[in-house]
Amino acid sequence: MALCQNRLQEERKQWRKDHPFGFYARPQKNALGVLDLKIWECGIPGKEKTIWEGGLFKLTVTFPDEYPTKPPKCNMFVPPLFHPNVYPSGTVCLSILNEEEAWRPAITVKQILLGVQDLLNDPNPESPAQAEAYNLFKKDRVEYEKRIKRIVRENAAP
Amino acid sequence: MEPLPLPTTLEEVQRLIQALYSQNTPETITAIQEVLQRLQKSDQGWQLAKSLVESPQDNIKFFAALTLIVKLNRESANLSEDAAKELLQNIVQWLLDSMNNGTANFVIKKLCSALVTHFIYFSQLWPKCLRQLVYCLDIGRSVPVEALDEALQTNAVVGNLDSRKMWVAIQFATALVEEVGKTDMNSAKFLQVHDRLVGNTLDVISLLDRGLTRTEEGCSQVSLVCFQAWILYAQRATTENLTTPLKTLVGPAMNCFLIEDLFQETAGLFTDVLQNYSTFFTDAHYADLSSLFDSQWAAQLYNQLREDTNDQDGMSFGLLLLAYGDAKVHDLMTSTDEVSQRLLDRLVGLLAANGYLVGEDNIFVPTLEFWSTFVECVVDSSFSDETGTQSWRPYADQHLKNVVINSWRKIQWPPAETFAEWDSSERVGFGDARKDVADMLQSIFTLNGVTLVSFFVDLFLQSLQTQAWAEVEGSEFCLGALSDCVTENPEYDRELSRIFSSPFFDLLSEAQVPIPLRLRQTGLSLIERYCEYFERHSEYLPHALNLLFAAVGDSVLGGPSARSISTLCSSCRSILTGEAAAFIRHYQTIRSGQVLDSIAEEKIVHAIASIIQAIPQEDVRLAMFEDLYQFIKQDVERAVQLKAQPGILNLADPNFSRGLENWSSPQPVPGPDEIALQIALRALRCLSSMAKGLQDTKDHVVELDAENQQAPTNGRLANTQSDIINLMAGVQSTFGASGEVVETICNIFRAGFSETEPGPFVFPAEVVTQFFVRQPFATPRLGTLLSTACSFVGSLYRGPRMYVPNHLAQLLPWVINTLQTLPEPESDVEISQNGIVLVDRIMGRYPSVVFQLQPPQLLEFFFLFTLKVLNGKEPLPKGAAADFWSGFISLKTEDPALQNTIANAMAHLGPLFARTLMQNIGGNAARSELDKLSDPLKKLVASQARAQAWLEQVLFDEGAFPSAQASHEEKMVFLKKVMALRGGRMTNQVVREFWLACRGSNFTYAS
Repeated sequence: MALCQNRLQEERKQWRKDHPFGFYARPQKNALGVLDLKIWECGIPGKEKTIWEGGLFKLTVTFPDEYPTKPPKCNMFVPPLFHPNVYPSGTVCLSILNEEEAWRPAITVKQILLGVQDLLNDPNPESPAQAEAYNLFKKDRVEYEKRIKRIVRENAAP
Repeated sequence: MEPLPLPTTLEEVQRLIQALYSQNTPETITAIQEVLQRLQKSDQGWQLAKSLVESPQDNIKFFAALTLIVKLNRESANLSEDAAKELLQNIVQWLLDSMNNGTANFVIKKLCSALVTHFIYFSQLWPKCLRQLVYCLDIGRSVPVEALDEALQTNAVVGNLDSRKMWVAIQFATALVEEVGKTDMNSAKFLQVHDRLVGNTLDVISLLDRGLTRTEEGCSQVSLVCFQAWILYAQRATTENLTTPLKTLVGPAMNCFLIEDLFQETAGLFTDVLQNYSTFFTDAHYADLSSLFDSQWAAQLYNQLREDTNDQDGMSFGLLLLAYGDAKVHDLMTSTDEVSQRLLDRLVGLLAANGYLVGEDNIFVPTLEFWSTFVECVVDSSFSDETGTQSWRPYADQHLKNVVINSWRKIQWPPAETFAEWDSSERVGFGDARKDVADMLQSIFTLNGVTLVSFFVDLFLQSLQTQAWAEVEGSEFCLGALSDCVTENPEYDRELSRIFSSPFFDLLSEAQVPIPLRLRQTGLSLIERYCEYFERHSEYLPHALNLLFAAVGDSVLGGPSARSISTLCSSCRSILTGEAAAFIRHYQTIRSGQVLDSIAEEKIVHAIASIIQAIPQEDVRLAMFEDLYQFIKQDVERAVQLKAQPGILNLADPNFSRGLENWSSPQPVPGPDEIALQIALRALRCLSSMAKGLQDTKDHVVELDAENQQAPTNGRLANTQSDIINLMAGVQSTFGASGEVVETICNIFRAGFSETEPGPFVFPAEVVTQFFVRQPFATPRLGTLLSTACSFVGSLYRGPRMYVPNHLAQLLPWVINTLQTLPEPESDVEISQNGIVLVDRIMGRYPSVVFQLQPPQLLEFFFLFTLKVLNGKEPLPKGAAADFWSGFISLKTEDPALQNTIANAMAHLGPLFARTLMQNIGGNAARSELDKLSDPLKKLVASQARAQAWLEQVLFDEGAFPSAQASHEEKMVFLKKVMALRGGRMTNQVVREFWLACRGSNFTYAS
């Protein structure tokens, strides 16, 4: 537990010091206004020169007590993002977030958010998480891209 | 390129080395590298190094040193102790020769590295490596290790060295700690090397103590670098034998601050240690640093920085000050002495350096980071301090007040012409800095809630009077940042009313003077952020909405304004019911004059619909609904007509040009068909927004045993509903090829499913069922339709039960027929998955509907279909099929005849299912599917008497079982464990292990 808190303090410090342009990531505040380091609200901009450019997508990162031994969970909901690798529950399916796959305790919040940004335009068809986006991505790329462009407009970066 | 032949003469080698370091194509360089590496690795490598090191050319000497390193790393084990000693003596001699004959520094450094590599493999031969080297440097020749006098005083020898020799020794000491530091401290192989490295500590101290004071030949510069490398190592090694002596060098290092040429390196060293290893410094060190920061010298650097943050020395000083602040933040917070207060004042002052964020002022953002930490520290101690006496608190509050003022000034926008000159990263950086300030203000709010709000309200009112627009905007921005913290409380409302009762609305409507666009933008967003305030103070609501509606047509403000309208109308709907007619007129006026952004338009329609939803009188509500719906209906009619008669297209009319939104100029103008489709799509999306706006925000009790409630008793409502259904059917028949049309219709249906009270989109179940079952296989996005049908079934289950089986009995054959039409079970995963989920849902609640399905072949097909899917590779339908089987295996009903039918089906299908399941667990499944597949296995074992026999049959049938890796015993153990667990949680683990055994031991997660 202490390890988790210390590491999150450090992550926060590192993020403040150095974070990629257009992203934000900050711990949630509870009713008293005190930070809850275990739930972060983040924003991921769509990558330049991709159909996701111009959008800003909200992501909630929840850290378990066992972090960094166990990975955090990332959610893109309200409504769940239309994307082949986002579950209908909003959970993002990404190998670096999977304890049994590529998660390592050394992975930073910055790397996670950059990983999710990459995933937006470069879905992994090997691990589909929702049928709607996955099916359209596979079967009708033109329609898929149209849909993404609309989502980008609905989530336009301010 | 062909591999080059090995060179046969030394000259050839030298030519190749020269070519390697000259300008060449990447292919040539790769080829040369390849041949030279082969040569290095060959038996002649040692001899080659020896011959090359004599060369007068630096590149060739460098290559010789590199060869030594390569050989040592590869062949140390083959060297005898004598050979190693001889080699050591040679390398030292080459180093001395090079030092004396004017060889370039990069070669000398590489030779030092070669020596360190020798130490890594043969540290037992010269544990006091630094003293050995220093001694040889002193006497000017290389001597055997045995010749080193144990009693020799290193500091005495160091005292004899001239600055060139000092420089070489320091380079070696640096390479020593860096290279050894790269080896694994915890591995047995290098344990002793690290111990012996630490054994050199006192010699290093003697060397650096002297080196730090010698400015010739850059000795003190390299001493600082070397000191930093040793501290970095000490942090990891955490041995007192190392850290305690190293701390004696802090004083001499601190003296370097005052030497002009050394300031950069010194500041870099101290900043780095403060940031990463602040416990290295003692209290005395901190006290010394603190008085240094309080000196005249510091004041000058500080002023330099405030003047211009691009001043290199000033900036390094600022970062040093911040690192110190960060390391001592808690002490600084609780100290009330003058020196600490002055230091904090300076740190506040760093938020007020010259120039705009972030292109000109680089120190603001890191300083803000310090103050954010400071605030969090204060917050933590005010929530956890039990003593209650915080004499320091007024001091901290005063500093924070100044932090707030400085930040407020900094986040103000520059004049538009200045902003226009910034590049994109400066713009983004400015926006990010504003966000950081907002973040910090939220933390300060925790301490000073209402005072902070009141402070910004005052600033707002003052700057409004003087028409200082940037300040007005800054105040609004800061107030907006606090909106998430401000709760429903008369104290806050009083403060906010001071804003909204001021000429705020006049200002934004530009009634008197024009104002900058950004100010309007921030003002409008302030309205949206304090939406809940307007719910409590409806007297300001009309002003707010009028302003927002006026901005809807604006290309920049339109989107955010529409969003604000939607938020405000939705949450203040019951206050606004009297305005519905006026808002509809507003909407009509706007759309007759221009083409709105489609997303903004949908928000406005949503806003008006949510007000309509709150109108209590049914007739008024329906009348208003019809008024708004007319726009959509007309659009759809126009679209259908245009499709039939392309000649009527008139792009000067906004009613037609609204179909051009997706078009931009270099592309050819789309034809009437495409424009017609876009008009229809926009209309449907607006209809979908209406449906969402009409969703009730309150919960109502549902009477499950009631008669069918869903048929509206109001004739007017029934007419409206059938009109909407006809409209959707009309669009679908005209534009049926469009997947977006189908998708939007699905959204419209879904919006009604969650509703429990009658409404225009709460269609009778029969109508919805008929809509679905008429959809042929060719309909685009059929998978989405099926998923909508799943939601529909869910909504049926939440409502009265009476006619549910009847609807399900109509839906079921449609679903299975659809699946039957699929060329392959995996050719459309969305159809397969949702089809299986739908049947699963029906079976779970109304198994009789499923098992009475006619003709029975349909059901048989479905079961075999799910088995095929289970055998397939698509995880999503496969997961649905596993869930379906879990449900089917444990299906229980109260009807004995039906239970008998289920049992017969199970007896027939059980062996087939067990076969499919075991083929997956036996290695065919992907690892991520195992948990899903364990579920039906657990159910099978727990509830089916013949489970063991079925599983056995597949496990030991070599023709059916997919893996030859698992032995007979492993299979037996698996079966025994699984049966003994009787469906327990641990089954998943057993499945996982068995699957691994079947895959073979070389498996890693990636495969």
